[in-house]
Amino acid sequence: MSSLKKRFESTQKHFSGSGKLKVLGPLFEAIKTVFFLPSPRTRHQPFVRDSLDLKRFMSFVLLSLLPVLFFGIYNTGLQAGLAGGKTYTVSQAFLTGLTYVLPILIVTYAVGFFWEILFAFVRGHEISEGLLVTGLLFPLTLPPTIPLWQVALGISFGVVVGKELFGGTGRNVLNPALTGRAFLFFSYPLTMSGNVWIAGKASVDGVSGATALAVTAPQGQSITAALTDSGFTLSNLFFGFVPGSIGETSALCCLLGAAFLILTRVANFRVIIGGIAGLVLTALVISFIPGDGGSWMKAGPLYHLCAGGFLFGITFMATDPVSGPGTDPARWIFGFLIGFLTVTIRVANPAFVEGAMLSILFMNVFAPLLDHMVMKYKVSKRIPNV
Amino acid sequence: MKLVNGFKSVLAGKPDQSVIYLPDPETVGVSVMDIPYIRPKILVKENDPVKTGTPLFCDKRNLRIQYVSPATGTVRKIIFGERRRLKEIVILLQGKEDFIRFETLTPEAVDTIQKPDLVRLLQEGGLWPCFRQFPFKDTADPDLEPPMIIVSLNGNDPFSPHPAAVLENEFPAFEFGLRVLGKLTRRIVVSSRQSSLDRLNGVKNHVTHQVPDLYPAWDPGVVLYRLKTTVEENRSWCISAEHLILVGKFLLTGTYPVKRVFTVTRPGDQKPHIIARQGSPVKTLAGRFPDKSLITTGRFNGRPVDPDSHLGFFDTTLNILPDNSEEELFGFIRPGISKPSVSRTFLSSLFKTPKELDCNLHGEERACVNCGYCARICPVDLEPSFIIKALLSDDIEDALSFGLLDCCRCGLCTYACPSKIELTHLLDSGITAYYKDKQ
Repeated sequence: MSSLKKRFESTQKHFSGSGKLKVLGPLFEAIKTVFFLPSPRTRHQPFVRDSLDLKRFMSFVLLSLLPVLFFGIYNTGLQAGLAGGKTYTVSQAFLTGLTYVLPILIVTYAVGFFWEILFAFVRGHEISEGLLVTGLLFPLTLPPTIPLWQVALGISFGVVVGKELFGGTGRNVLNPALTGRAFLFFSYPLTMSGNVWIAGKASVDGVSGATALAVTAPQGQSITAALTDSGFTLSNLFFGFVPGSIGETSALCCLLGAAFLILTRVANFRVIIGGIAGLVLTALVISFIPGDGGSWMKAGPLYHLCAGGFLFGITFMATDPVSGPGTDPARWIFGFLIGFLTVTIRVANPAFVEGAMLSILFMNVFAPLLDHMVMKYKVSKRIPNV
Repeated sequence: MKLVNGFKSVLAGKPDQSVIYLPDPETVGVSVMDIPYIRPKILVKENDPVKTGTPLFCDKRNLRIQYVSPATGTVRKIIFGERRRLKEIVILLQGKEDFIRFETLTPEAVDTIQKPDLVRLLQEGGLWPCFRQFPFKDTADPDLEPPMIIVSLNGNDPFSPHPAAVLENEFPAFEFGLRVLGKLTRRIVVSSRQSSLDRLNGVKNHVTHQVPDLYPAWDPGVVLYRLKTTVEENRSWCISAEHLILVGKFLLTGTYPVKRVFTVTRPGDQKPHIIARQGSPVKTLAGRFPDKSLITTGRFNGRPVDPDSHLGFFDTTLNILPDNSEEELFGFIRPGISKPSVSRTFLSSLFKTPKELDCNLHGEERACVNCGYCARICPVDLEPSFIIKALLSDDIEDALSFGLLDCCRCGLCTYACPSKIELTHLLDSGITAYYKDKQ
């Protein structure tokens, strides 16, 4: 430990002052602070400070994503095996999945950090920790079959347009990871929708690679029966042994992450609970509307909850504090409307089978308005003091 | 009174309840650093002889508000800081103590004395600054009749002197002081921490409001926020119990009272309450302390003090905070069994053991990510992140309507902020700028 520290101290001179590598100063600082948490003296009141810093705050989001990530890698391999007519063991499935997911992860972080460092260098500020989270969230929203150049393009759009153009971490209106995904979704629909959700599927015919949300029942059959026929039983959807984006398939893993984030208070529970409540209520109400029994209208709240990317989105995307609202009542409304909009888009809009991404981005835009209304209300309740 | 937001961790280093007396120091000082918004006008020169009670400087905003010498001797030094701002006046103690004699007031005379006479007496005796006026917590305006005066039995820090130690032997002066307050206002509120009550005995009957044992519930700003029902009450006054005792003693004896109660907290050590002369040197009170420590007069809302300086009129406690600036390997992911935190991201949140606080930032400043930790801990229901964003964009109207002036500058939002933003400093600057704007 002390030798590592000495190493940092001896190389520091090259990166600061008149050192040759001064240009790379922010990068050096970023790497150094990963190993050694800086703790300067306080200069202003209060003179004591909490032990939590943003690095730890963000690291806890990464920790909460680990179950989703590992299951996603495993499931990618598993689905690829099933599509090829083989049954993989756990380790085989995991290793196969790794060959698809790891390149996507590496490209995301490499390209993402390139932009982050470039902007940090031009603006002369520290490299922020936000990208650690964005860089892990973004690949988990992609299908495993996505071409790597599109991954690079997507994360570039997410970081540059979604975040840096607004002024960097803390100032972005939209969630950068979802912005990148939305960019890919609308620019390259062929690789982002339809039969793209199973890795290595191209070799075998006759296996549909669509997600559960794309399923509709033929005349006379109920949607749940049609889903079961296609292999999308409720338990499969809950545990996640279905095709889909890398990270979205397992409702269980998302709930584990949500529980961890809520218990450690890194994410605000109001968004998550509000979102689930909104989705369940809306799905219930819509299921009572008379109409075609074969569409997702009749699927009921449990299927809506477990299928698609809603739980992933509400747990990891909607709880992004920067792009979400900053007051508690607004957080409830924000979450609830995401749930409501997700179901509404799923059942009412034939162009998009999945509504989670669009509803979160839509509500991101409305978050400042919700805050504004909540602050107006709060001000009206205060005894004025001017 | 109910309060849910505040600092809930248990702190280490609670002072001992016993009391020791310190002999008179060689020098005492009258500091200007803890007097709000003052523009001092110096009334003495170096080497002037002074008695106990001789005015040393007054406030240019109201020349009748004086600050007097707490000892007999000569003016040794007048110390100026940046921009030639007066920092403190140091007095070398010499000879037998000689008091300036002021008029006295008998308990019976309280009912008949006119308010202007009372105010004049307190101003001459250097005790008018005991009264502070909201919302700026400025020295009170003698021409106003405050809708409420809040007497706070507890000091600014969690480990400020225990009211039982302050009130010991001073009960008559305290009661007399309360009667004097009756001449200034119609409503007197006496607030006390719940934990202080059981040692208060007779004073208990005077306590009108109990507050939970949660920093900063006993801060007069928080008490006012919880009690106020009208806009007028924003102009209430406050006074601490020990200053009220000073007022009572001064009026009863006709001499300037000089003895004060102090606490000193330091890591891993329990120190008794100390009775010493007002303006004692920091060094004699603090004793020995580790190098690089930061000494403050309140870990959350005090000011840093130099070991060579003297305690101010409003300072009652010294916190010696260790400096642990040693960088920690993989600090961001350690379990942290003994780390103090209001978050739940350290294992320490599972245990209720007392935590040591140091004077370090534990991270680097980052952009605000809107996490809401500041709003969750604010005792007066503010949204600090919204207010500072309004202040930073020069939107003072928005900041005021969000309740900027209700801020009691307790420092908790800044304590909790994971982005290490100097929220309290920004709020305080905003309040000060607005105050100066109104002048």
